[in-house]
Amino acid sequence: MSDSDRVRETSKQPEGTERKESDPAEANRESETGAAREPDRKPESERDAITVDEEKDDARKIVTGEARYTADYRDRFPDLAHGRVVRSNIAHGYVESVDTSAAEAMDGVDAVITPFDDVVPDKLYSSSGQSYPEPSPWDLTVLREHVRFVGDPVAAVAADDAETADRAARKIEIEYRELDAVFDPEEALDEDAPQLFEADDVENKQSGADYSRNLESHFEGELGDVAGAFEQASDDERRHVIQTEWETPYQSHCVPEPHTTIAYTDEDDRHTFITATQVPFHTRRQIAHLFDVPIRDVRVKKPRIGAGFGSKQEMAIEPITFALHLAADRPVKLEMSRQEEFTALRFRHPMQMQMRTAVTDDGDIEAMDLYTLSNSGAYGTHGMTVANNVGTKPLPLYPRVPNVRFSGDVVHTNLPMGAAMRGYGAPQGHFAVESHMDEVARRLGLDPIEFRLQNAVREGDLDRSVAILKDGDRFTRTIRSCGIRECVERGKEAIDYDGIEQPDEDHHKRGVGMALIAQGSGVAGKELGAAQVQMNEDGSFHLQVGGVDTGTGADTMFSQIAAEVLGCTPEDVVVIAADTDLTPFDYGAYASSTTYISGRAVKNAAEDAKERLLEWGSRLLDEPPKALDTGDGCVYSEQTGNSVSLEEIGYEATYGDDEREHILGDGNHSTDESPPPYGAQFVDVTVDTETGEYELNKLVFAADCGVAINPALVEGQIEGGEHMSLEYATSGDLTFDEEGNPEVLGFRQYGMPRTTDHPEMETVLVETHEPTGPFGAKSIAELPTNGVPPALSNAIRDAVGVRLTELPFTAEDVKTALDEQSADD
Amino acid sequence: MEIELEINDVEQTVDASKSDSLLDVLRRNGYTGAKRGCDTGACGFCTVHVDGEPVKSCVEPVTKDQDTSIETIEGLGTQSDLHPVQQAFVDNTALQCGFCIPGMIMRSTALLETNPNPTEQEVREALSDNLCRCTGYKKIVEAVLDAAERMDSDTAVAADGGTAVDNDGGAAAVTECSRTDCGCMEGDQ
Repeated sequence: MSDSDRVRETSKQPEGTERKESDPAEANRESETGAAREPDRKPESERDAITVDEEKDDARKIVTGEARYTADYRDRFPDLAHGRVVRSNIAHGYVESVDTSAAEAMDGVDAVITPFDDVVPDKLYSSSGQSYPEPSPWDLTVLREHVRFVGDPVAAVAADDAETADRAARKIEIEYRELDAVFDPEEALDEDAPQLFEADDVENKQSGADYSRNLESHFEGELGDVAGAFEQASDDERRHVIQTEWETPYQSHCVPEPHTTIAYTDEDDRHTFITATQVPFHTRRQIAHLFDVPIRDVRVKKPRIGAGFGSKQEMAIEPITFALHLAADRPVKLEMSRQEEFTALRFRHPMQMQMRTAVTDDGDIEAMDLYTLSNSGAYGTHGMTVANNVGTKPLPLYPRVPNVRFSGDVVHTNLPMGAAMRGYGAPQGHFAVESHMDEVARRLGLDPIEFRLQNAVREGDLDRSVAILKDGDRFTRTIRSCGIRECVERGKEAIDYDGIEQPDEDHHKRGVGMALIAQGSGVAGKELGAAQVQMNEDGSFHLQVGGVDTGTGADTMFSQIAAEVLGCTPEDVVVIAADTDLTPFDYGAYASSTTYISGRAVKNAAEDAKERLLEWGSRLLDEPPKALDTGDGCVYSEQTGNSVSLEEIGYEATYGDDEREHILGDGNHSTDESPPPYGAQFVDVTVDTETGEYELNKLVFAADCGVAINPALVEGQIEGGEHMSLEYATSGDLTFDEEGNPEVLGFRQYGMPRTTDHPEMETVLVETHEPTGPFGAKSIAELPTNGVPPALSNAIRDAVGVRLTELPFTAEDVKTALDEQSADD
Repeated sequence: MEIELEINDVEQTVDASKSDSLLDVLRRNGYTGAKRGCDTGACGFCTVHVDGEPVKSCVEPVTKDQDTSIETIEGLGTQSDLHPVQQAFVDNTALQCGFCIPGMIMRSTALLETNPNPTEQEVREALSDNLCRCTGYKKIVEAVLDAAERMDSDTAVAADGGTAVDNDGGAAAVTECSRTDCGCMEGDQ
């Protein structure tokens, strides 16, 4: 469609909301969307299907137990074989031999595979479901002769039932030649440390790699003159240089549904995967490349999935399942155990960070310098890109700071691999940056909130720090929507910031802490979403969209966006999503991209179909299309009051005498934009100074995600994100013995918060309008995972004056810090 | 071996091996609403009722269940006629990925049968063996409290309708009420 044909509703745009079009890159970005932006800011009174708590479209089948997840498809496959993986029990070494004879001799065993079998590719690949070529090293093989952590897959079996597969797996005997291992990232950088990879063990190496020092990547970027700013500050008594250090642990995604895949080949010889994935299209490409089959012969279908949180942005088990399927020549299901989830799959990267700032007496930040050392574990999936986000997500909270440096090292150790996890480096980065800012304010005697707001992002700011690691200014962004000040204001009210009363007992001290939060909406310049709308003759629609609902309610959100454009109800939109045979392409559900990228593709597709609706309406009403609009299930003319129902249009277009047309709409969306959603996390805490025990009295999260398409689902994202953030701050950690054996094997050893561990939570939605988002929306999913660690560190500092710097905070940590404080006094 | 038991009011004879858990048998026989989350009784996703008591079916040896009465999520309401607890979960958006929800609902119905008017703290304690990764539990707790209110008013309607109801709760009274008047519990197939 051409832009001139598009129906414009300029009259609906309130005065004073014209966009600033000063950015020279703007024109290019506009053209990349495939359509010029239309003013789509709608006052509340004109919204029908958006900013409505529409019932989640899968809610009823979930509560009746009818929603089907991958493992629930077993009844479709009478000859389904069950897989089991045999994993390394040493941290580092070579497989010398694998004796599979006892397992193969068992009744009911269908296949046994090892790294030495032809059916198992020996190609290098990355399991990261990212764009192509993946910005992660290709350092994995499907089964591994060189094992690098306790949990590396060495062999696998498929058997008629799960019990037989288990017994067969236990009969496989593996002999290893053990190598020295290294578990500490700083030690791993030593030139004498055990080396995990030879240079030719890895393809698609990332910037700064030096495998002789276990260095997967080194990166750095600078704006202004950081060294000069610090030098100036150290010579001036009205300026201050403050440096702090921070440390974060492993965190498990605790995906409710363990990774599960069914692989089979259908009657047309097409390889089909029903799989719990956030990235069906990446998985299709990766499988095709790895097994050397054409992309067209691979089909990936996403059923309901039991959440991902980044762990399913990984092709973690599909290759083993497929190799077992090829060897067994029957459908195979591979379902991870909870112990495998906790020991062998994917995790949030542990990090050590240093933050340094130069600040004036008046609280103006003149320079920021952030460094991170990330423990990538045994392999490099998402290693560099997660570490990049440690800086590029929180530093843009302060885009007017003139001198900024950000650098990092990503290092291999013989421990489980870090990967994508909700927040993607931002939780680590916010802990460092937002705890640091609080510490700076307190040391300077400034109000921590006022100090931040003095320096914090505003609408209209030019943010260069988001692109600090990029060459050129293509990804420098203008902030077009920012509700951070209202988030702070309303958050303060909700937590009763000025009314906190101290408890009666002398040894109980109460405090409040706050952290500012930012994330992104998709990966700038590395996203593509696409959708197609098809009209049915009764005035309903099918929406085919590549976007992936991981349980968030994305499919519901898609139906609301489409309905708002088409003038029908969300129930009139049947969503068919995330099947590589049936739906248009999508990069997948990660990086908070779904509402902003896939949602915008849906909007574009619906607008394309709407144009045809108006054309047909025009014929039937004998009025020009420009005089018409959609709404209430009709095409109508505001001027004449005439209308024709979508159903009439549907039947006329399909079965009419003169002309016929299947009303369709296509939409793509790709962009260099990634507007940040913003938030303010507040924590109210009471600390017992005798024991160091602390209790959270309340959490408040105020969020600006632009226009919330479905506020109830947005609240759900925030409350769930805070849950993970609460765990990160207070209870989640993985530990290993001195030989690298995992000590946390399941939920019983891991500190995932339960109903009784959660304090009162209050959520505040602050609406702004993001002009580049669908109906003004930004994304929300990751934002709320960033806040509790810094806000709690700041609250404890507020309550008792000590600073906690290592997650998770235990009562012992608090007590130790209090004892040190009284020793210093 | 063969085990005789009643599943959602239907008497059945199921094949099982000695090492099978109740969850293994349920899922193999098409009752896939109960989910496998840990196989160690630590997450609660597999919660069903055995003789009216909430049980983590993944650590329940099926050999224990000879002649018992099992109720699973499939035995509650239907999509067009939801049990009040199911309806409250839908109306409160108390679900996201949904993997924990069947277990969470079975745990909640067990709570409300023994304690029809729980406090928020009692709800939190009753659900503390059931994990949820998506919601932060807030809307789930709200849904259970909402369901209690709905069932309480349903009970009152039933009482007006003449059915004897013991307001001090006994599970039997509530169950009976639901079967005869609410159209909501296991009596609905």
